[in-house]
Amino acid sequence: MSAPTQFELMVFSTALIVLASVYVLVKYLWKWPLQNGPGFFFGVEVPAGFYEGPGRAWLKGYHATLVALHLVLAVALAVIVAFKRWDLTPVWAVGTALLYVPTTMGFAAWTRHKLGRNPPVRPIAVALETRRLGDYISWPMEVLMVVVIALCWWLELHLASHKEWLNMLTTTWLALGLLPGKILLVRSSDPLPVDRTEEHYRYQDAMRRNSVRMWNSIAWFFVIVLVGIALRDTWTPARTVPGLRWLFLSVPLVVWVYLMVQIFRGKRLATTLGRDLLPSGSWSTPFRRAPWIGVSGTYGLWGNRHYQIWFVFWFGGILAMVLYSQFR
Amino acid sequence: MFLTLQANDKRPLYQQITNGIKALIAGGNLREGVALPSVRQVAGDLGVNLNTVAAAYRQLQDEGFVTVRHGAGAVIASRTSRPVDGAELYQPLRTALTQLVLSGLSGREIEETVRQELALLQQKGDAR
Repeated sequence: MSAPTQFELMVFSTALIVLASVYVLVKYLWKWPLQNGPGFFFGVEVPAGFYEGPGRAWLKGYHATLVALHLVLAVALAVIVAFKRWDLTPVWAVGTALLYVPTTMGFAAWTRHKLGRNPPVRPIAVALETRRLGDYISWPMEVLMVVVIALCWWLELHLASHKEWLNMLTTTWLALGLLPGKILLVRSSDPLPVDRTEEHYRYQDAMRRNSVRMWNSIAWFFVIVLVGIALRDTWTPARTVPGLRWLFLSVPLVVWVYLMVQIFRGKRLATTLGRDLLPSGSWSTPFRRAPWIGVSGTYGLWGNRHYQIWFVFWFGGILAMVLYSQFR
Repeated sequence: MFLTLQANDKRPLYQQITNGIKALIAGGNLREGVALPSVRQVAGDLGVNLNTVAAAYRQLQDEGFVTVRHGAGAVIASRTSRPVDGAELYQPLRTALTQLVLSGLSGREIEETVRQELALLQQKGDAR
């Protein structure tokens, strides 16, 4: 069997991304505002009969936003495929995130602003159980990740005739930059209501663990991509032996599939466990306002200022490197 | 184990935390040797300033309810190791009883209220 060409690889990866996106759109995003049941819209408590009245227009507006968003992405992808500009795929990927995150988050924030401006103040419970970073983050695995990345850099800097330092830097940033995010994720929590406190607490913990697992697989995906770059640049058989090329393709693919499974599992978990629970955005505590986005599965992360700063820094770094690689 | 804080409580927050933890100790929900979460974690979960929770922990430490061990943080102390000062112990009770009398309750009603509260405290401990 001959090794896959660059064109085949790109078509295959793009097809996978499109399939996953369509699945997420149909299965989860379409019904996202209703995730907490008919008594809520995007985590904001709404009166009975809301979906027979103004709620219908809200839902229609949300669906129209989603359709417009996906149309823009589909047209951009079609242009890339039609003109075979595979070099623009990273720009498309970053552009997708740039469109997606602010649009969906913006919609949730707008919902809060219009429908739930003064959420009720309820008593709060706080868990007296210690959350240790080590209970969520495997430090030996983090060290292993750093060692593998350091080895890749050593190979690239000492043995590669043509150094792909920008690709290496971007991939390293993507992988290692997730660690501060994971730490913030473990430290963040949603306020716990006094009713069914134990269930809310277990739900949050399950979501936290699932998110860490998902981020770990994202980080390892990029580490494997980095290993592939380093070996391709420094070891001739990696470029010439078809079997090895297939291996370099299949390992990241397996991690990618695992990542997708984690994401879907997390979504299913959020839907199942959080169905009858109080979304954090629907109430304020005596000490802090309700987070501006509070649908199940977000547990206040986006309301955490440290998390926002980290995300801007991490994502901004990726954006800067991708743009630099395109327009230098 | 959860510490509950009410929305309409007029007491300072650090006092609510202190009293809440004391109630959990009295009810047997927090036993000797149990580590409390860090000040940072509790403050983050509640969405309040670190100093507020630190003040509560400090008060618990001053009153002998918790000990601070290096590396282990705040740990619930032995219930018998605290020196019992009669005057200090009964003063809050006298204050509470004065409030109840001034609010117009009869002696019998006050006795009943105290009995109910005690039963509730013991019930919480049994339910752990």
